[in-house]
Amino acid sequence: MLMQLTLSGASQGAIYALVALSLTVVYRSTTVVNFGHGDLVMSGAFVAYVLVVGLGLAFLPAAVIAVVAMFGLGVCFSRGLIRPIRGGPHIGFALMSIALGYTLRGIARTVWGREVLPMPRVFDIEPIFLGDVVLTGDALFTIATVAVLLGLFFAMLTFTDIGKMVQAVYQSERGARLVGINVSRFHDLSWGTGAALGAVGGILIAPVSFLHPDLGASFLIKGFAAMTLGGFGSLGGAVLGGVVLGLAEQYAGAYIDTALIDITAYLLIILVLLVRPRGLFGRKAVVKV
Amino acid sequence: MKRLPTFLAATALLAAPALADETTGLTDDAITIGVMGPFSGNASSYSKAEIGLMAFYDMINEAGGVHGRKLVAVQEDTGCDTAKGLAAAKKLIFQDEVFMLQGNSCSGVAVALRPEIEEAGLPWIVAHAVSDTISDPVAANIFHGVPTGNANGRAMAEFVLSRPDTKKVAIIEHSNDWAHSYSNPAQAYLKEHGVEPTEVLTMERGQTDATAQVLKMRADRPDFIIAALYEAETAIFLRDLKKYGLGDIPVMGTAGTDLENTLKRVGDLETVKNYYVIHPYVDNLDGPGMQKWADMIHKYYPDEELTNFSYIAIGSGVALVKALEAAGPDLTRSKLIAELDKISDLDTGVLSAPITWTADDHQGVKGSAVSGFVDGKPTVLKAWGQPY
Repeated sequence: MLMQLTLSGASQGAIYALVALSLTVVYRSTTVVNFGHGDLVMSGAFVAYVLVVGLGLAFLPAAVIAVVAMFGLGVCFSRGLIRPIRGGPHIGFALMSIALGYTLRGIARTVWGREVLPMPRVFDIEPIFLGDVVLTGDALFTIATVAVLLGLFFAMLTFTDIGKMVQAVYQSERGARLVGINVSRFHDLSWGTGAALGAVGGILIAPVSFLHPDLGASFLIKGFAAMTLGGFGSLGGAVLGGVVLGLAEQYAGAYIDTALIDITAYLLIILVLLVRPRGLFGRKAVVKV
Repeated sequence: MKRLPTFLAATALLAAPALADETTGLTDDAITIGVMGPFSGNASSYSKAEIGLMAFYDMINEAGGVHGRKLVAVQEDTGCDTAKGLAAAKKLIFQDEVFMLQGNSCSGVAVALRPEIEEAGLPWIVAHAVSDTISDPVAANIFHGVPTGNANGRAMAEFVLSRPDTKKVAIIEHSNDWAHSYSNPAQAYLKEHGVEPTEVLTMERGQTDATAQVLKMRADRPDFIIAALYEAETAIFLRDLKKYGLGDIPVMGTAGTDLENTLKRVGDLETVKNYYVIHPYVDNLDGPGMQKWADMIHKYYPDEELTNFSYIAIGSGVALVKALEAAGPDLTRSKLIAELDKISDLDTGVLSAPITWTADDHQGVKGSAVSGFVDGKPTVLKAWGQPY
């Protein structure tokens, strides 16, 4: 049972990791907590659904188009709605992100309001039984896709000039400006990247789960929990936090009580904030006077 | 002393809801009926019940109405959310000033509305939500026009035990009032017959994976599973059940799901072939007994996709019209309530059990059939292997 739970938890955790990472990308570069992020996850899934079911595209090109579209939406959101309020109070950013989320949800409700929609399976293969352990195409595809994406993402951060630019802005926006980096454009791209990564999460969960306009709400909480566990602002921590959360849900549900699955994320947030507020990889805030 | 008139006026204003006008919402040619349902949100597929009800009103209206009065629906969205539902009810009662209320999917919302509506005193026929506490204890103005959770829960357990050699029964449910309204009476019935559930597991709304629950069941391997889950979670649970090699265990679901749409969502018959649901109707959804109701809905809502929920509120509409006819042209709220109390053994032509209301019992529908796939086709059953 442990192996099966671990596999299932890793698959769920991979999605949470993506959602947490995408939240962190935006938070780290703009210090804005995107409360509308769950709805970006949902929107990515719905765009893919329209392309696959409505227009008959194959899953892969549909997924790519959906991710690009969500990247564009993220950039437009930043340029059109975040930049104009940059000089205002910080709460304005959070409220704007909430407004975006509810707008997207409202649009989805208007179009698909009364249906729970099935997304065609990506790898609809017969489960493989290895003793008591069942390997499914969906789980393997999710884990592999997320692993490849994360590998590429962190390789880009570590080994490329773009990565150095990102590190520079993360360390000091003022310093980055001084060396000629367009920080405003960097923020736009961060919003776009966050939306695109979130969309990947939505697209991956859609065939396993079902689509409805409120799909993103639970993923937002999971993303926050993973961020908290990994440490606010830590990209690697967000990924690890997501995986740990996925595993914790499965273990708690199977070994303690299934009622705990849904509240594991909240319990983790409470526990981490009490015991280690900076999370596993967060940096302790040091104020020099 | 100068303040006395003001005080009396304020008192009268406060007491107004309880002294609601007997003919509020009534004109010579219209009876306004507040129809609340979850027209948006992730439980919005349940609002098909209210669509079916309003199509029934349209049919009655096309035939001339009742004593020359048209049934005019004033639609309000609850979103299956308690706060939103309370706001909707207050708007209908105090702002729109409807004559009566009918509808309401989502038990949690309906339970929360009960005190408000009981105090307001206008007739309310609950046409979809199943929780027993909506209509028990009896409130003079609140009538239940569908099988309640207690009736359904017991019918579910009765069907489960009608399968020979059923000894081990596991239960999986949401942790909300709706799910408990099915699973508690089902468990009570099982215990009365000497069967203790092997597991009572939770799967919350919005969960996208049921691995932990299914693996727990795999250890016990029950003979039958009772699932009090909403549509999306039912499909996820059935998928995972098959995935982990337990697809041959029969699963008994609630009236909150239906076979056709569960099949559509899951995508293959193999996954749902052992799934059974409470089926409160006289025939299969595509059977001749239901055809006239399907035609009626499509006549007034041509684009409406029909599901199991589409017909559930119609029976209570039939009962309402019978009571309105009996109340006569000089209609008042009290007269309507008195006539609803006299509805007895009413064959609605849509529900599998008749409606009977008395002054002491407003839970009008006491039984339900079951539907399952037989030879790949949805079939109405009264017990395991016995067609209805």
